Amino acid sequence: MRCARSLVRIQSLRALTAAAGGTVQPAATRKAPHARSLIAHEPCGQALRSLHTACVLLKNRPVATDYQEKSEREGEAAKSLVTYDDLFERAALEAKTKATFNQVLDVFIKRDIRRRGHVEFIYAALRKMPEFGVERDLEVYNKLLDVFPKEIFVPRNYIQRMFNHYPRQQECGVQVLEQMENYGIMPNVQTKVLLVQIFGEKSHPVRKYQRLLYWFPRFKHANPFPVPHQLPQDPVDLARFSLSRIANDLDARVTVYQLPYTDVCETGEEVTQPYVVGIQSPDQRHLLAKHNPSRPVFVEGPFPLWLRKTCVYYYVLRADPLPPEEKVEEPVDPERCFYYPLQLELDLERDLGDDDSFDVDEVDEGPVFAMCMAGRGDQATLAKWISGLQETNPILGRTATVFRLESGVRELQSAAEPEPEARPGEEEEELQSRGVKQ
Amino acid sequence: MKCTNYFVAQPSVTSLSCDKNRTHTRKLAYAKDLFLGKVNKEEVFPYPEVSNEELEEINQFVSPVEKFFNEDVDSKRIDHEAKIPDETMNGLKELGLFGIQVPEEYGGLGLTNTMYARLGEIISLDGSIAVTLAAHQAIGLKGILIAGNEEQKAKYLPKLATGEHVAAFCLTEPGSGSDAASIQTRATLTEDGKHYLINGSKIWISNGGLADIFTVFARTEVVDKDGQKKDKISAFIVERAFGGITSGKPEDKLGIRGSNTCEVVFDNTKVPVENVIGEVGGGFKVAMNILNSGRFSMGSAGAGMIKKLIGLTAEYAGTRKQFNKSLSEFGMVQEKFAVMALNAFVMESMAYLTAGMMDRPGVPDCSLEAAMVKVFSSEGGWVCVSEALQVLGGLGYTKNYPYERYLRDCRILLIFEGTNEILRMYIALTGMQYAGKILTGKIKEMKKGNLGVMLNVWGKMLRNSLGSKVDLGLTGKDGVVHPSLTDSAKMFEENVHFFGTTVERLLYRYGKTIVDEQLVLKRVADVLINLYAMTAVLSRASRSISIGLRNHDHEVLLANTFCSEAYFKNNFWMNQLQKNAPENNDDGIKKIAKDVLAQRSYICSHPLDRTY
Repeated sequence: MRCARSLVRIQSLRALTAAAGGTVQPAATRKAPHARSLIAHEPCGQALRSLHTACVLLKNRPVATDYQEKSEREGEAAKSLVTYDDLFERAALEAKTKATFNQVLDVFIKRDIRRRGHVEFIYAALRKMPEFGVERDLEVYNKLLDVFPKEIFVPRNYIQRMFNHYPRQQECGVQVLEQMENYGIMPNVQTKVLLVQIFGEKSHPVRKYQRLLYWFPRFKHANPFPVPHQLPQDPVDLARFSLSRIANDLDARVTVYQLPYTDVCETGEEVTQPYVVGIQSPDQRHLLAKHNPSRPVFVEGPFPLWLRKTCVYYYVLRADPLPPEEKVEEPVDPERCFYYPLQLELDLERDLGDDDSFDVDEVDEGPVFAMCMAGRGDQATLAKWISGLQETNPILGRTATVFRLESGVRELQSAAEPEPEARPGEEEEELQSRGVKQ
Repeated sequence: MKCTNYFVAQPSVTSLSCDKNRTHTRKLAYAKDLFLGKVNKEEVFPYPEVSNEELEEINQFVSPVEKFFNEDVDSKRIDHEAKIPDETMNGLKELGLFGIQVPEEYGGLGLTNTMYARLGEIISLDGSIAVTLAAHQAIGLKGILIAGNEEQKAKYLPKLATGEHVAAFCLTEPGSGSDAASIQTRATLTEDGKHYLINGSKIWISNGGLADIFTVFARTEVVDKDGQKKDKISAFIVERAFGGITSGKPEDKLGIRGSNTCEVVFDNTKVPVENVIGEVGGGFKVAMNILNSGRFSMGSAGAGMIKKLIGLTAEYAGTRKQFNKSLSEFGMVQEKFAVMALNAFVMESMAYLTAGMMDRPGVPDCSLEAAMVKVFSSEGGWVCVSEALQVLGGLGYTKNYPYERYLRDCRILLIFEGTNEILRMYIALTGMQYAGKILTGKIKEMKKGNLGVMLNVWGKMLRNSLGSKVDLGLTGKDGVVHPSLTDSAKMFEENVHFFGTTVERLLYRYGKTIVDEQLVLKRVADVLINLYAMTAVLSRASRSISIGLRNHDHEVLLANTFCSEAYFKNNFWMNQLQKNAPENNDDGIKKIAKDVLAQRSYICSHPLDRTY
């Protein structure tokens, strides 16, 4: 019920704004859901509150009407959201960096001692932050909060404290914190000092801050496999990182089979060699050594791997699962251990009560022998990987390798590197000699 | 009749006539029966004795050896220089210590196991010498002794017994500790079929640099019954003179520094086919037998060391004064001496009980008992040496006193001749196998829901819960335990009975998959070791009172103290065994290890780390 009431209020507020200013503010629309979280207000506070609302409206109104009076300043800046966006866009022409972003903030702060239109400005700034690449910068957030005028919005008596004092400003403050939350930025003491200075001890932004501080540390290490914000730039390093991430085996060794390089051949054409990076663990090598050479192994891919916003593709070398008739359990050699029997000659099985295993339907999957990432997903490039693997896995020389590559996902390499014109002839020969089926 | 006094250890030659009667009764070993909740008291009561003549003989051997070790062996120097001086080695040879168990006909001393144990007490006063001698005769030449043919014995034993030749035992390889399947050394038959060519390298070979005769285990190709070629292990006697043998640099070790341990590499070493020990492809059995028989003397060795340390430490504790009181008046110091005395007493009792059992006519299989003695005494020894060092505090930590050397030396006891972990597996699994064979029928009936069997079991459980006393016949009218040890004997009986039901329950629960339950097996082995130790002290103390040995009241005190302590420990372990993994902490332990091993590091955040 309380929520409903506050919603109604928000809506009436918006109607008022619309009526007064004539400009519909998208920011207000965005804020509506947050208004729900605001503390309820007693009906008797209506008068007092409307007084504050009036203040806000008054502040808003000049945006449209008092414009001419302030024309000696860079007037149009104060007009609407669009103008603040303008401010940033003009700065963006120069360079989209933290420095220019800060400059814009400084310009705004210095322009008007009363910080007129700061709410709109902050919303605009929040939207522009990712563009300037400062969305993960705590310093910038603090600076942004600093735009709020201090002490004005702090409730001075219990009645103000009881009701939603300066709701738009508080919501705006909450919004700043919300954006920090979305980007996983942990506020610091300075943030708190600012918030307390601006909104007072028990205001909504301060409570939001407290909630952030309660939950963030608890969830900070929830992911056992964190992906760094800064991925390696070099594709080989990125491949190295991604492969060890998928393999998740401390013994697995990454091998760079080919470094990327560009060469100019005699005819003057540029030949680009894509990188080939593979990973294999000793266990996988062992599995592959036991593979029956009369059955083919498959190179499959590309499979996507998402690392935050980057998608990379990898290929696997695998075989079909063993048909049941070929599965032989090796009997334990009784003359294996010098010291104690490795198994008991008893006709007793484990009791059901002590069988802690779960009833799992296991889907039989074929073994994966190795994985790789390459600059190009064509067969010639992947064949280099296989021939590189052959050095440590001689069995591959006797086993047919079938390439089952899906075309289609080529975005990664297509933009950076052009398709090779022709495959070197010797490579093809090599392929054939190894009995590659296509 | 000597045969009736079967507990009297006799030289094997004199008792040959009794062998036939003995062998069938000797088949049962004592420790295995404990798994069924039975006490085969004839096996261990009364405590084995030696005849007066033998005792005199032992003493004749002992006094010169003791004198030699006290006067001519400079352990500090051996430790420092990491070499046993030649004159010391010659002294040992002159005393015949290189052939203690080699029969007299081959020029050895031909001593029984009991006498060997007695000498072991003194030899152990220097770890390096003890290990050198043990590597020579407990494992090095043991293969020839127990599995060699007459020609091999006649050819090699005389020189080995005098110490002219030193023996070494070559089993361990870089890739193979206790796993026979990963032995890489290979012996290939030459074309004329008269020689084998051995190729491969062996590591951590005690005496590897000194030895002239090696017992080498290598893979050979054997045609098995189905006509298929298979790789099997064979044992060879290899002389250094055969050529192609190189010894590596001696390892720089923590303790037993004077003993020589190094890598031995065989490069196309040509060994005549006559030098195969046992049959071709039978090396696995030979290796097992050598390893199993080589362990028992460690109990007396540990006891000998602790007895000497008690003397040294007590001297210090009696003279050192603090606050006008000597150290020996402080309770915590007193406790350390009690621990040392208890351990020495138990080790001694176990070692000589086992030696006595082994000396009985027939070929008793005491490998289980020997393994228990090894585990108990190596761990007890480590604790006691550490406690002795603690009494001296900082002084004990310096090189001015021998404690740090003893501490370093005795650490190896937990590792070699089968690590204690592996031996615990051996102890528990051997017993489980034995009990399992007998109990399978009953357990299967129970699982099928046979009412008769189940009622029987429930009846037993009901009787136990009502507190009926277990009586296995150790005390009372036909009792074998002296009345002053009645309480301890009762505790022991109760433990044995509980152990029997526990083993049955474990077999019911795990069946043959118990092999994979190492934490369960560890407790089973620990309980069994304690039970055997209790047996040994009860038996020994009973004998001591009965024949009125000096200070037998002290022995009774030690026995009672040890038994009540062991009783509580056993009950604790067996209660844990009755429970499921989450309740007895096994799950937690496994999970901790899994987490740590998955990351291969300690994974907790630092206590000073922050998240905000």
